[in-house]
Amino acid sequence: MKVKDTIIGIAAALLLIAVMAAIVGGGTAYTPSTEIRRLAEFYLKHCINVYNTTWWTSSPATVTSMVWDYRGIDTYYETSVFFLAVIGSTALFRIAEVKLRAEGEEKRELGLSTIVKTSTRIVFPLISIVSASVVLHGHLNPGGGFQAGSILVVGPLLLMASFSRRYLEDRLRLSRARCIALFTTGLISIILVVALSFAIGGALMQNQPKPWSPKSPWGLLTKIGPLEISGTLFFFDLAEFLVVSFGFTLLFLLLSIPEREFRRLLGL
Amino acid sequence: MSIEHFLQLYCYAALIVIMVISLYGIVRGASLTKKLIALTIFGDVANVLIIYVGFRLGEKVFVPALPTLEPSPEEVAWFASVAVDPVPQCLVLTAIVINMAVTLFLAFLVIQAYRLYGTTAVKKIAKLRG
Repeated sequence: MKVKDTIIGIAAALLLIAVMAAIVGGGTAYTPSTEIRRLAEFYLKHCINVYNTTWWTSSPATVTSMVWDYRGIDTYYETSVFFLAVIGSTALFRIAEVKLRAEGEEKRELGLSTIVKTSTRIVFPLISIVSASVVLHGHLNPGGGFQAGSILVVGPLLLMASFSRRYLEDRLRLSRARCIALFTTGLISIILVVALSFAIGGALMQNQPKPWSPKSPWGLLTKIGPLEISGTLFFFDLAEFLVVSFGFTLLFLLLSIPEREFRRLLGL
Repeated sequence: MSIEHFLQLYCYAALIVIMVISLYGIVRGASLTKKLIALTIFGDVANVLIIYVGFRLGEKVFVPALPTLEPSPEEVAWFASVAVDPVPQCLVLTAIVINMAVTLFLAFLVIQAYRLYGTTAVKKIAKLRG
């Protein structure tokens, strides 16, 4: 064991020295400077360039237009990784809908103190509003489906901690089955938006006409009436919001099953 | 060596030291839980490093989102000259969420291993048969 430890220690030290030497010697491709790489400059110059619409995405938020347009297929596969992680976890905890109604537990007051509960009641709507704002403006400001989903998930987590898991399931009707339904709705909507834009716009995951796609003479709508929607970006953000928020809520619901119940159901 | 350059190197060094320590934790962690914690640290440091590489030096830097919907050509040129690099942000944005989902999945695996075997010690689990 001593020899093994020494070898690992030396390897770690060597890695450290090598990486530092690479950085000092300028071996890394990029270090912070006043200039940015040309690829990034291309994205910055073209995302809402109304004078040269060949490469544009009609969205001023460069990150969102990269996530769902320029690098759309990459995000599509990231979402599939997310899907696999959630489905894997659900498969591991595949037990029937848990009924946590042991005798005598109905009367017992669940959750933390009144102070915590009251402040949670105040904070929870605020979290929901912030996440709604982030997702609805995702194509105009920094923000989008991923961020808003992760913000919203804090709400159910808070409720679970300060009230109880049962509060979430009984009062908010956010059961495991409903979470799976909403999660899948988000995934299906992403596929639908991709298919629809492919049928109309001609290019996969590209919401505006692109020169390499001969059968896309027109792009998608950039605005409906006074509402700026930036083609498909708005819908992608909404769908991803559903996927992320309810995927995580589902995972936290599964994690919050009491150990005692789980052992009983597994027969351990 | 200017002070700016030194501070840059210091940031890199700090991040890489944490990365090496977390790698050591992943390899040599005695329990599955500790390995998982080291893995999350490793992922976070990687994300910070990517974001750091995308930063732009200068007096006026701007978020990569144009504040107007119908910009003039001058505004587009100004935007491209002051905004930070959006590519790392785009990579990290998805990576954080996916990282969290994968971490939760691994946490589920660890919990299940504990339920079935009664331990998360790697040596004990490795010795189990059947």
